[in-house]
Amino acid sequence: MFQDRRLGLALLAPATLFILLGFLLPVAILLSGAFQTPEGWGFSSFTEFFAKPLHREVFWRTFRLGLYVTAISAVIGYAVALSIVDASDKRKGQLVATLVLPLMISPVARTYAWVVILGKTGIVNQFLTGTGILDTPARILFSETAIFIGLIQLFFPLMVLPLISALENLPRDVVPAARMLGANWLQVFWKVILPLTREGLVVGGTLVFVGSLTAYVTPAILGGSKVLMLETLLYQRVSVANDFAAAGVIAVILIVMSIVTNVVLKRLATRKGGK
Amino acid sequence: MKLLLSASLLGLIATAAVAEDKTLTISVYGVSQDAYKEALYAPFEAKCGCKLVIEMGNSSERLAKLEANAAKPVVDVIAFSDANALEAAGKDLIQPVDPAKLPSLADAYEFARDPVGGNMAVGYTFYGTSIVYDSDVIDGVDSWLDLFSDELKGQVALPNVSTTQGPLALQMIETALGSDDPKFGKAIDMVAQHRDDIVTFYEKGGQIPQLMQQGEIAVSVIGRFGWANLLKTVPSARWATPKEGQSGGMNVLSIVKGAHDPELAHQFIDYWLSAEVQQKLAEGQVDSPVNQKVTVSDEIAEGLSYGPEMAAAIRFLPAKSTLENRDAWLEAWNAKVAQ
Amino acid sequence: MRLAGQTILFLVLAFLIGPFILICVAGLSGGETLAFPPEGLSLRWVARVFEVESFRATFAVSITLGIGATLLALLIGVPAAYGLERYNPPGANVIRNVLSSPIIVPGIIVGLALLRHLVIPLGVGILPALFIGHTALLIPYAVRIVSGSLVNLRVDIEEAAVLLGASRLQSFTKVVLPNIRNGIMAAFIIGFITSFNQVPVSLFLTGPGVSTLPIDMMAYMEFNYDPSIAALSGLLALMSLVIVLVAEKLLGLSRYV
Repeated sequence: MFQDRRLGLALLAPATLFILLGFLLPVAILLSGAFQTPEGWGFSSFTEFFAKPLHREVFWRTFRLGLYVTAISAVIGYAVALSIVDASDKRKGQLVATLVLPLMISPVARTYAWVVILGKTGIVNQFLTGTGILDTPARILFSETAIFIGLIQLFFPLMVLPLISALENLPRDVVPAARMLGANWLQVFWKVILPLTREGLVVGGTLVFVGSLTAYVTPAILGGSKVLMLETLLYQRVSVANDFAAAGVIAVILIVMSIVTNVVLKRLATRKGGK
Repeated sequence: MKLLLSASLLGLIATAAVAEDKTLTISVYGVSQDAYKEALYAPFEAKCGCKLVIEMGNSSERLAKLEANAAKPVVDVIAFSDANALEAAGKDLIQPVDPAKLPSLADAYEFARDPVGGNMAVGYTFYGTSIVYDSDVIDGVDSWLDLFSDELKGQVALPNVSTTQGPLALQMIETALGSDDPKFGKAIDMVAQHRDDIVTFYEKGGQIPQLMQQGEIAVSVIGRFGWANLLKTVPSARWATPKEGQSGGMNVLSIVKGAHDPELAHQFIDYWLSAEVQQKLAEGQVDSPVNQKVTVSDEIAEGLSYGPEMAAAIRFLPAKSTLENRDAWLEAWNAKVAQ
Repeated sequence: MRLAGQTILFLVLAFLIGPFILICVAGLSGGETLAFPPEGLSLRWVARVFEVESFRATFAVSITLGIGATLLALLIGVPAAYGLERYNPPGANVIRNVLSSPIIVPGIIVGLALLRHLVIPLGVGILPALFIGHTALLIPYAVRIVSGSLVNLRVDIEEAAVLLGASRLQSFTKVVLPNIRNGIMAAFIIGFITSFNQVPVSLFLTGPGVSTLPIDMMAYMEFNYDPSIAALSGLLALMSLVIVLVAEKLLGLSRYV
């Protein structure tokens, strides 16, 4: 019944053409600008870009924060996922809905909440000075720390949900079996749960890492122009200096990092197969 | 479902169609928009029976947008700094105004009538730039170099070099350091040295009142046009008179090349320069007037950079100097301060 | 062990939801500026939200954009999902990657690319360009979610319908569509909310008079530090919350995420 492959192609045509013409084409042209130099094709835009210490620092900072956010999300993510999986079915649904809810709220709203909390007159500082831990309010806003906190709150659910999915698919008797054989909790986690839920970790890790790399609203509001990340740098270069060369370079960097992350993590996931 | 789709498409088309009615698109600084609405936009819309579409933002961004859209301009009239206008003229982005169509221009101060030459722009306000501080936190500021003192550490927000105020601040710091190097070498080194003590380099002056109000900063450098707002938000704010003096600038209006209704554009500019509007803006402490017919009480004059004597006391940064040295400033800033 | 797990869970949920509840409360503040704890409670900032003209205008833009882009994405995405799942045409994998590509391209680049290579050179208006950008962003969601539904729908049901005399089109509309209806609804809701909250794509694609609500909120905050933004955030979140809760009740939305 479904042998008419041409009909299949016809069904796919509108969507594919739309994406090719309205999306991939303009993006490809923009990216190609990064490879154009006065002498023709080349990488000189890239070398020029990285020649500036500011740009190197922004690149490194973006990469570093992405790694921190992903690592912490993974560790706490597992803890949370394990708790949720343990819960009754009804609770599970509620808990998952609570996790999904922040994803539905505008990042502008979520980030401004942090401005209120982390500011010098915000509740964190009120607590710190009120209890005497600090004499004067601490500067938290306009720093990497503030961006880190904002990013974790944004992307944490994206780590937990795939982990829950993966944990749910674990055969029921694997963990009790390991425990019976004398393994303590740490060993159970490291040697049983982790390898078997590797795929979920990969999906979550990719989503969180790539999301952190490409975040705009949070670094813009919580970091300001002193603490730039790749996307806020891109915005600044374009809107103030019409520097499309830099924009193209940053664009290529971001996309390459996304693809590489995807590929590398996928390889890690399927490398050892199941034990 | 299909009905919804058609409805949304119709809606999109309708919005596009409405835009064809008599409109004037203006690009302005974002401060004091409520006051502007009352004093300028609403009365003008009533007079001309047209609609004003307003784009806001800092002038570097708006100038960049002007350049990006040069083939098909979106904006008709743009308000920016005299240095911006000089640059825009050089890039062929604006067209000359016709003084004959601007009767109010005759009432303006001499220096506002043709500030960048070739009738490319007309001044609509001038202002002084100085240090502002929260008197609840800081006792006082005597010198531009106090910005880098231990006492003010971690409480200062300076304008980014890409803003209009940035070079104005640098100019005063350079003067305070005893040099008149137009490349502001010493000033930039000073800022770079103390960069960790500076909270942030602001991109938009409108952020300062909220930062000060929240206690994030206690000191900053702004232009006088932002003073009324700051005082409203932070009643304990004070305008410093450092011993080296203040710098300042002039904001101008230009007509974008390819504007779709230059007649309407001229009418708008003339209205902005008229005694009527300039008086209202002055009384609201929004903008210092260039129209000599405007008179305000001494009290209000306090809040403005008012009068020819004031104009003489301000160390303006010549637009030409800005254009010539800007690349040098950006280079030095990016190399030393930004990282 | 269990207690530790529960505590961590509680702390994490507080971390995720707390700030957001805080901003809702701050929006009900009776004071002049955005602060927590708020000075007294009042609805005046909520009322003010409706008075700000730019919020109303951009809300209309965001809603139109959200509904329109999601509808279009579904209109062309559902057949695409069906074609991929049932027909396995030549080059299916390549096509799958193409259809998923909008997810890996950072939004800010999409907006810039559309501005530079569609709006300026071809004179495409800003609103249509936003429309194209948002639709492109939503197609991967539409295809993926609907594909998920199709995979679970047994092929022999359709074959049975055809055997019993239905045309292919009838088999699609009367057999397939009703069964993947939940998937389509889920895709619509997720798509709409994604488009509504989208910022980076719209950053470069806004112009005088045309902007989306999240971008307008950011611009507003740059000059006005009052609780109206908090109130607006609260209202929007309420809207999202209602949508999600209703969806969860009706469809068991968590299954699709």
